[in-house]
Amino acid sequence: MAFVLLRKITNIPMPDFIETFIYHYVILRNMELISTVSKGSRMDQIYIPKNRHGLSIGSYVVIKPLENAPEQAQEDGENKSKRYFYYNIDSIEPLKIRIINEIMFMLHKYLDSYDNILITGSFAENGFNFNDIDIVVVSSSNTEIKPIQAKIQERTGIKADIIVIANDALIEGLSTDPLYQMMLSKCIARERFIYKIKDRIDYKVLDLHLLKSKPLIDNFDVLNGGEKYHLTRNLAAIKLFLHSKKISKESVDREIKSIFSLKDIMEIKDNLLDKKRFIAKYKRVYDETFKMILAGINK
Amino acid sequence: MVQNRNKLLDLFIGNIANAVVHRILERCIDNQEIAKRYVKESATSLEIAKRYREKINPTEDFLPVKDIDYIRTKIVNKVNSELIFRISKGYKGIDLDLVSKFADDALKEMKVAE
Repeated sequence: MAFVLLRKITNIPMPDFIETFIYHYVILRNMELISTVSKGSRMDQIYIPKNRHGLSIGSYVVIKPLENAPEQAQEDGENKSKRYFYYNIDSIEPLKIRIINEIMFMLHKYLDSYDNILITGSFAENGFNFNDIDIVVVSSSNTEIKPIQAKIQERTGIKADIIVIANDALIEGLSTDPLYQMMLSKCIARERFIYKIKDRIDYKVLDLHLLKSKPLIDNFDVLNGGEKYHLTRNLAAIKLFLHSKKISKESVDREIKSIFSLKDIMEIKDNLLDKKRFIAKYKRVYDETFKMILAGINK
Repeated sequence: MVQNRNKLLDLFIGNIANAVVHRILERCIDNQEIAKRYVKESATSLEIAKRYREKINPTEDFLPVKDIDYIRTKIVNKVNSELIFRISKGYKGIDLDLVSKFADDALKEMKVAE
């Protein structure tokens, strides 16, 4: 830049290669324009002034949101150095790591206080077979979650399902609720956590849970494969819990395969079941589990 | 699958009854922090009930009074029977007075009655 100004002022000739170098590596590399995204009929667009130095027609550019740009840069740096804790996750796709960083950064920024942030559910499984991201925020404060959910969806394009739970309630849930155990058996945590929890049979909680699986018996035909899988998984998790067995997605899937003599769990998800055989076994397991729960009432 | 109206009504009733049982049992959980986690789970039965309701004529209007009476009585009986069975096994804290009110609420949600 100094050479350009010097030449303009003094008219001293300057070698071409210096001029080219300055143009490409000083002016263009530092060039920034601020503009807004305008709504178009078929595509949205960003207008930039016709009289500009650089950014010629056909050149490739990077578009970034201006909002909180310096903070974002600083936080990005922090996020890079921040290590999260992966529980029972052997490998994770790089793209998911970027999403995790983004979500952790946003929650850290918008939550007043929290003890931990856990990302769980189908997002923590291999592949990209998830519709939303289940997030558990361990916090005692009453935080309004909806605006944060909206911001995460806006930034990542993925629906976030956030529940806020106090640490005591989480521990209570883990000791009495098989689905809490399954949920936290595979997760990504912002902070390290160790929960040494002794299972406690709460017949009221288990009864309520089991009731959720009841509709499959009478409504087999109207349920899709995914719904059948969820209701069956719920039943199998309760059964394992009552028998004091370890609960994780893998152990529950194994139990389902064993109960219904399935080669692959996808037989349920793909709705390829033999209705008569499946319902007969399902009803038997449901009744046995219900009996076990009710038998615990007076203990 | 072609289903006759009575069969649809029975399936509809079964799911509403299940949702009402769920709502009453939610209130029996001792720890309210835990209890509120289960509120949305009754939605599974209601969601299925909605699918049947969409097939029961008139779909865009409330059902005839005769149908409403039949559905309501069946729901109340089913729910009472489920709850009384639990009480007989020693289940504590079940409030049977809530059955009628919760059944009416569910019927309004399903646009069966005003």
